[in-house]
Amino acid sequence: MSSRILPQFALLTPQSISEAVDMLAQYQGQVSVLAGGTDLLVWNYIRKVKPTYVLRLSALDDLDYMNYIPGEGLRIGARAKVAQLLEQPEVAGKFPALYESALTFATPQIRNMATVMGNVLRASPAGDCSCAILALGGQVVLQGPDGQRLVDIDDFWISYGVTARKNDELAVELRIPEPTSITRSAFYRLTRVHEDLAKLNVAVRFEMCQNGCRSARISMGCVGPTPLRLKQTEKLLEGVPVTDELLQQVAAAARKEIAPIADQRSTEEYRRQVSGVILTRVIERAAGTHRIAI
Amino acid sequence: MSKQTYVGKNIPKLDAREKATGQAIYAADLQLPGMLYGKIVRCWDHAHARVLKLDLAEAARVPGVIKVLGPQDVTRKTYNTGVLDLMVPGEIGQLLGDVEDQHIFTEHVRHQGDAICGIIAESEEIAELAAEKVKVLYEPLPVYLSAEESAKPDAFQFDERKPGNRAFQLPEAMFPDNSYGWGDVDVEMAKADLIVEETFYVPKVKQCQMEAHAYVAHYDQTGRLNCWTSTQMPKCVQPKLARLFELSISRVNLVSTTIGGGFGARLGMVFEPETCAMAMAVPGRPVKVQSSREEDWVASESRHPGKYKIKLGVKKDGTPVALDAHFTSNAGAYFTHASGTAFTTGSWLSGMYKIGALRYKGDTYYTNQAPSGAFRGYGNPQTNFALEQIVDQVCKKLKIDPVEWRKKWHKGEGDDGWCIGVPYSSCALDECLDRGAEAIGWKEKRAKYANQSGTKRRGIGVGVMNHTSGAMPMLLEHTTCTIKMNEDMSVVITLSCSDLGQGSHTVLKQIAADSLGISMDEIHILVNMDAAGFDIGSHASRTTYVGGGAVLKACEDVKRQLIERAAIRLEIPEGELKIKDQQVLSRKNPEKRLSVKEICHTGVYNFTDPQTGKTNGVPGQIQGYASHFPSHNSPPFGACFAEVEVDTETGEVQVLELVIAHDIGRAINPMAVEGQLEGGAHQALGMTLTEETCYDEAGLCRNNSFTDYKLFGPVDMPKITCILVEQPDPIAPLGMKSVGEAGPVNPVGATANAISHALGIMFTAAPITPEKILRAING
Ligand SMILES: Cc1cc2nc3c(=O)[nH]c(=O)nc-3n(C[C@H](O)[C@H](O)[C@H](O)COP(=O)(O)OP(=O)(O)OC[C@H]3O[C@@H](n4cnc5c(N)ncnc54)[C@H](O)[C@@H]3O)c2cc1C
Repeated sequence: MSSRILPQFALLTPQSISEAVDMLAQYQGQVSVLAGGTDLLVWNYIRKVKPTYVLRLSALDDLDYMNYIPGEGLRIGARAKVAQLLEQPEVAGKFPALYESALTFATPQIRNMATVMGNVLRASPAGDCSCAILALGGQVVLQGPDGQRLVDIDDFWISYGVTARKNDELAVELRIPEPTSITRSAFYRLTRVHEDLAKLNVAVRFEMCQNGCRSARISMGCVGPTPLRLKQTEKLLEGVPVTDELLQQVAAAARKEIAPIADQRSTEEYRRQVSGVILTRVIERAAGTHRIAI
Repeated sequence: MSKQTYVGKNIPKLDAREKATGQAIYAADLQLPGMLYGKIVRCWDHAHARVLKLDLAEAARVPGVIKVLGPQDVTRKTYNTGVLDLMVPGEIGQLLGDVEDQHIFTEHVRHQGDAICGIIAESEEIAELAAEKVKVLYEPLPVYLSAEESAKPDAFQFDERKPGNRAFQLPEAMFPDNSYGWGDVDVEMAKADLIVEETFYVPKVKQCQMEAHAYVAHYDQTGRLNCWTSTQMPKCVQPKLARLFELSISRVNLVSTTIGGGFGARLGMVFEPETCAMAMAVPGRPVKVQSSREEDWVASESRHPGKYKIKLGVKKDGTPVALDAHFTSNAGAYFTHASGTAFTTGSWLSGMYKIGALRYKGDTYYTNQAPSGAFRGYGNPQTNFALEQIVDQVCKKLKIDPVEWRKKWHKGEGDDGWCIGVPYSSCALDECLDRGAEAIGWKEKRAKYANQSGTKRRGIGVGVMNHTSGAMPMLLEHTTCTIKMNEDMSVVITLSCSDLGQGSHTVLKQIAADSLGISMDEIHILVNMDAAGFDIGSHASRTTYVGGGAVLKACEDVKRQLIERAAIRLEIPEGELKIKDQQVLSRKNPEKRLSVKEICHTGVYNFTDPQTGKTNGVPGQIQGYASHFPSHNSPPFGACFAEVEVDTETGEVQVLELVIAHDIGRAINPMAVEGQLEGGAHQALGMTLTEETCYDEAGLCRNNSFTDYKLFGPVDMPKITCILVEQPDPIAPLGMKSVGEAGPVNPVGATANAISHALGIMFTAAPITPEKILRAING
């Protein structure tokens, strides 16, 4: 419910990352970090969170970067916008899943405000960049009073809206590993209308070799409390040729591995049904064998 | 004076720049000295409850609160936000069973969002804070969300005047057997070779006008009640407020503010009663009441949802012998438009095809949903969803081309119109069907998509419709217009027709400029309820047709006066004079002439020569006037073609293209006509594919904002081709017909038919979501 009453909080504007971390440590648990604000400043959200302090990142322009480092991968600063994923020259070619997640993300206005980090830190099961990053693999760099630590994206989301970040830590960077020449990835989402949160999103990443794929990673959103890795399903893909029969098995396995619910955006039945369909299409597209344009 | 410089041209909307640059002033922008802020306190936790105890004490103590108002602190008079009471004679209203069942603040909450009390404070924030301190003890009552539930014999009775919770059915006294139509349906149906019968469901869709409802009211020291509102019907709201607050009409100053979209959402009163009641409680201080989108959603009206039973009987060759239909709609919590929509939904049905016998029944039941009311098309999109699909089922079973069937059986010129007894004055539907079919490639695609087996399947569908231009003779049709000629020949047109954003003021100026032979830039339209005479508002697709007719008549009156004066001055009989290029001149001897400007000027600056005692012209400022009652409703027809692609594995529908051919008679402003068709198509696609206001079991709205009520966005919209078919109507002023309300009608049937063409499955419940499609495909 919208309201005319502005939430009351004190605004903190640290001038450096270390000052930010000091402030987080000082006001443990009472601070909300403000990046693009496209989640935090939505009425329902901020009125639920009720932060005493809002710590904005507006002075920390050194976190604006999105760098591709050959041999290492993609480094995304905490202030880098979703729109930058579309502008950074290497993203489309080397991290197609991430690129595609940005392509359908909201509207240009939102993409210009929203950060990739904010998407991950929001820990919503519907986050599009989150879904892509979970498939691509990677790490969240957290900076706390005792320095930096890296948390694997697989371990980052604890439950709905909850992450492994500690109260006194600032998330400063996302790292996505360098793909090899045979790495493939793709992302797709279903929505009610174009501008919407996903009713289902899917991303895959695997290495294509002659007799199938290796080290597949499948992630799916809106089918559980956080974006999910479908580890059982991934196993089916390992080292065998991608055939129609295999894809049918993969689809069936995915339907079993997820735990969707019914909400405003879709039904449980529908999500379960289409999860397999979309997954197989995304795999085919990543593998370059797709017959149905998505 | 009659050269057509503007009529027929693409003139950009005159207020476009103002609106696009944020200069337009809406009610919410108004700041008046000493202004207070009102908050309507609504019941959010119950859809049906009795207020056992209302404790306002704590709210009243919040610093900055000026007054708290419970149900007893404001007028206890009841009202009906609708305006049918002004548009039909009292006896008819009584026969229809129209009731006034709404209170400013209620003790019986009939839907979520019903208003229970009001708070007036120094700021909106304070008012909202105080609202949270209002303590209410509710006794929950049983909640009914559909007509079936509330019609049950043991159901709670909403209104003792309406047994069985039936708010309306076609009254026996006017419509024997509670139905209308013609012929003996039972006898004719028995002769059919094929009968197709279906029950359709049409959803509760919201107008989604951009500007959420907002008002300012001020009961001033002179004892006038001033109300700033973006109503579509200023001249109807003014007397309704006068009656509610027991004031004469001249003591109600209704100020029309810029309208941020209407679509029926501002038809009649909305939250004017609550706002004015608050202003009356603090004389001398203006009170502003703004609603959030959520409030707008749960407390203002929407389209009537309901069940549409329809049965069509045909001969082997497709000859339609009988049609039997029954629309049971969900009125929501209050009566409002219960009679109007139930009645007209059948008009569009009876106005469409030449069927041997037809019977339409329409009834409406109270439920605990937000009240239903007016929405662009007024029953026509509902009819279109049911009728156009049932026709296609017949065509499919008999292997008849749907376009051919429609061409053969649609009503046309001379046939009984949507209002039985008033024949159609013209009909260009054949040309619409032909040109539309040609433009979309109907024949080729229809054949090509007949046998598909892939995952993505295409379909193409058609939907036709009839509508009206103004509601004559069903409703009062009356618009007045005054045209004042300034001394420099510039013009002020005073009227009370609203411009909802459809561009009606632009069009009215085009009409006046051409009629008077002057530049549009020299014309100002004044919408002022003190100065302007009566008008029934911007609705029923009437403003260009009826308002334009009034403007033309007032222009004629101006021209008559000009000629009358020139005749005196030139000493030439009136019949010999004509007006051309801003001159009044003799047909016989064009040298004898007077300029219009000179006549206007000397009428104002009329001096008497003291020597001769003669004046320099004929005294008196020229003002033309018309009190216009149109003689017909020159109905437009239209054909829409839709092409879709359906993904059989996900159920997703992509609308690829719409071709909309519209029988416009004469397009005064073709660009504005296209705008209406495209905007209407947007609403039609939403109703068909994505939009529906949903409630949980307790009757609480699950999607009262744009987060979860999904409208098509720019990227979702298909390519649209508009074809304006111009066959001037013989009765209409300038030959024109309407378009506004027609917009959201037949893309509904066309799209639904395209989906069923793609899949071979007909969907009876809108919106046709991927979830429903996939379930149907998977059996
Ligand atoms: C109209 C609209 C459409 C949207 N459409 C989409 C969509 O299509 N797909 C989608 O995935 N999302 C969508 N969203 C959600 C939102 O835009 C995204 O989740 C976005 O990525 C959030 O980024 P942000 O920078 O705005 O985060 P913020 O709102 O600033 O923050 C989000 C959360 O992360 C925390 N946070 C942010 N940065 C840090 C940090 N450096 N360290 C610690 N905590 C941090 C904040 O405290 C907050 O809890 C939409 C939102 C809106 C309003």
